[in-house]
Amino acid sequence: MIKQPFIGLSQPKIKYDLVEAEPKEPEVIPVPKNILLLLNDSLNSAKITLINKGDQVKKGEKLFLYKESSEHVISSSSGVIKKIESYAGEFGDIKTSLVIETDTKDESVNDFAEHADNLDLEIAARFLKLLPGAPPFETLTDPTKKIHTLVISGADQDLSSTTRQYFLKTASEDLKEGIQILKKITSIPKIVLTVPEGFRVETEISGMQVFNIPSDYPHALPKMIMKEQLQTIVPAGSSCEDTGVCFISSEAVVSLAKACRDKRMNFDKIVCITGKDGVQRRVNATIGTPVANILKHFNIHVNDQDRLIVGGPFKGLATFTIFHPVQAHTDSIIIQDSDSIPHISDSACINCGKCIKICPAKIPVNLLVRQLEANLFEDAAEKFDLESCIECGLCSYVCTAKIPIFQYIRLGKHELLRIKAEAETEDANV
Amino acid sequence: MSNKIKLTVSHAPFWHNGDSVGKMNLNIMLAAMPAVIFGIIQFGVPALGVILLAIASSMFWELIMNFATKRRLSIGDFDAALLGLLFGMMLPATTPWWVVITGALVTIVIGKQIYGGLGANPFNPVLVGLAILMVSWPGYFDFDAALLNYEFSHEALAPLAALKHQGVDVVGFFPILQLVMGKQAGAIGSTFGLGIIIGGIYLILRGYIRWEITISYIAGIIITALIFNLSNAENYAGPMFHLFAGYTLFGAIFLATENSSSPVNLIPMLIYGFFGGFMVILIRNIGAFPDGTVFAILLINLINPLIDYIRPKALGRGVNNA
Repeated sequence: MIKQPFIGLSQPKIKYDLVEAEPKEPEVIPVPKNILLLLNDSLNSAKITLINKGDQVKKGEKLFLYKESSEHVISSSSGVIKKIESYAGEFGDIKTSLVIETDTKDESVNDFAEHADNLDLEIAARFLKLLPGAPPFETLTDPTKKIHTLVISGADQDLSSTTRQYFLKTASEDLKEGIQILKKITSIPKIVLTVPEGFRVETEISGMQVFNIPSDYPHALPKMIMKEQLQTIVPAGSSCEDTGVCFISSEAVVSLAKACRDKRMNFDKIVCITGKDGVQRRVNATIGTPVANILKHFNIHVNDQDRLIVGGPFKGLATFTIFHPVQAHTDSIIIQDSDSIPHISDSACINCGKCIKICPAKIPVNLLVRQLEANLFEDAAEKFDLESCIECGLCSYVCTAKIPIFQYIRLGKHELLRIKAEAETEDANV
Repeated sequence: MSNKIKLTVSHAPFWHNGDSVGKMNLNIMLAAMPAVIFGIIQFGVPALGVILLAIASSMFWELIMNFATKRRLSIGDFDAALLGLLFGMMLPATTPWWVVITGALVTIVIGKQIYGGLGANPFNPVLVGLAILMVSWPGYFDFDAALLNYEFSHEALAPLAALKHQGVDVVGFFPILQLVMGKQAGAIGSTFGLGIIIGGIYLILRGYIRWEITISYIAGIIITALIFNLSNAENYAGPMFHLFAGYTLFGAIFLATENSSSPVNLIPMLIYGFFGGFMVILIRNIGAFPDGTVFAILLINLINPLIDYIRPKALGRGVNNA
C-alpha cells in the first residue's frame, strides 16, 4: 500500500507496476478438479434449462442456460456439470455459476475451426468474445456504436498488474499478427497502441500510432487516454464507445492471433497475483480456475476477514468467496491481510479539499458526496457533475475523513440509470 | 460452494493513503506548539492554565454534546482539543477561568455542534466563541489592562490598541524584528510571529492547510495596508506593522484555513483569502475595533459558500453529445 508522503503539498505519485526487463515465465496452474464458470444470465425456476446437473460437457462447448438466452459461457475443460446455482454479483446483479467437475477424457468440440478461415466480426462475436483478455467484439458489432478508433491497451489500467505489458513484451509477433487480423475484420481506420512511458516497442508496426502513457495512475484509464492522447473529451454521461473509441487489451489481441493460427480457442489466462507479502507472481491458469486453487499452489493462506480482490487496488472488486473463478477479463488478484485493510468511516465530509485537488475530472467532490449521502442522485448529476466521474477512485484514496466516496459515486450512477430507465418505461406507458 | 472462510467484502479503492482526521488535527496542534510554548514562557503559569483549561473544557463540552445529541463520541478525533487550543491561544494569559469555560462552551456548542458537528460548521467555531466573548466582556480583551501586572523588557503596550488610540506615531515603538520575535503584549499564542510562521510552513508542506488561502490572506493584508499607508502615511501604519501585530498571522495560518468554513477551489480560495486580509485592514483603519481579524474572518466565512460556486468545468461538461 502506498502511504501518504511526508510532504503533502504536491500530489501523490502513484506509480504503475512495470513489467520486468526479462519477464518471468508464468507458473502454470494445473487444471483443477472443479472449475467454475460464471454466466451472465439469471436462473428462472419457471423455465426449463438447456443444461442440467450431471450433463457431460466438452472442452470448448458453448453453454446456454435457456433456449432464448443470448449470453453463453464456454467450457474450458471437459467434464460433468456438478452444480448450477445463482451467484450474486455487484449491485444485486444475479449471475449463474456452473461448477464443472473436470475429467481427463479431454473431449473437445471446435465449432470455430470451420469458420476460422473466413473470419469476420460476426463470427468473432459469436465464438471469440470469451477469449482470454475478453475482446470487445460485441461492442464492435453493435450497429449503434460507430467505432472509428481502436485502442490496444498495452499499459495496464490499474496497479498490481503487469499482465498487459507482459504480452507487449513477450508476444510482439502475435500482437502484430492480431492487429493485422483486427484491421482486416473490423476495417477500423485508426488503430493505436498504448505503452507505458519509456517502454521500447520491439517491433515496428507500420502506420500505427503508439501512445506513451505517463507512469502514474490514473493516466492509463480509458477516459484519461481519450483526454490526454486522443484529445477527445467524452461528454459527461456517455462512454468512450459512444464517442467511437473502443479499447481492447493486448492479451485479447494476442489470443485472437493464436486462435486464428491454431483454429481453436485457448483458455490460458495470464493473471498477476499479489499475496499478503506484497510479492507479485504471474500465473497461467485455465479460465474458470477458482482463486482458491491458485492460492493453494503458492501456499497463501487466507483467513477470516482477509480481503480477496479481483482486479486492481483502485478499481477491483472484493469477492465474498475464495472460489471466485479466473475470468476472461481477470488481469490481477490481490490478497489483503485483515490487518492491512484500511478503515472506512461514515463520518461527514470535513471539507479539506484533498479530493478537489486530486480529481482528474475536476468534479466538486466535496459537494457531490453530500448530495449522494442524502440520496439526491438527480441533483448530484445535474448540479454536481456526477456523470463526469471517470471512476479512478483517487478521491476515496486521499479522503481524510475516510468516506467511501467512490462507492457513493458508483451507487449514485447505478441509481441514476435505474431512475432514468423507470422514467422511460413510464413515458412508454403513457 | 462450500465456503467457510468469511472474507471482508467492501468496495474499491482498497488502498488509502493513511491520513485521518485525528492525524490532521494532531499535526495542526503540533504546528501551533512553537507559538504556544513561547507564550507560556513569556506569560508564565497563568498562560499554561488558560491553555489547558480551554482544551479540557472544550473536550468536556464536546462530550456533553455527544451525549445530549446521542451521537458517536467524537473527542477521539482531537477536533475539540484543537479548537480549545486555538481558542486558548487567542486569550490573554490572565483571562478568568469562567470566561475560558464559557468561551469554550460557545465555541463547541454554538460554533460547531448545533450545526451537526465536524465539517458542518459554517463559521470558524473558535471565532464564534471569541466574537461572543469580545462583545459580551470587552474588558477582558483589552490586552493592556489584562497584562497590567506583567513586567516586560519591551514595550508593554498592545500594538494595535496603541495604534487605534494614540495614532500612527506609536509604530516607532515597535520595531518589526521585536514584533516577529514575540516582544509585544497580546494573546498567549498570537504574539510569536516567527513561531506561527514556522508552524504555517510545516502545515503547508504537509498539505494540512491550503496555502492559497494563507498566501492570499497575507497578500490582502499587505496590499490593503500599503494602499492606506501610501495614500496617507500620517494616519495609517505600514503593511509590515499590520502583518506582525495582533492576530494577523495567527488568523492567516490557523483561523482562515479552517476546513469547513473555507472554500476548496482555487479561485474562491484566492478571493476568500484576499478579501479576509482586506477586511482586517479596513476594520483596523476605519472600523471600531483595534484588531479586525475575528470579525473579518467571520465575514469571509459568510461568503464562502457563495464564492465556492466559482469552480472549473468538470470533464465532459458542456461538450455536445457526439
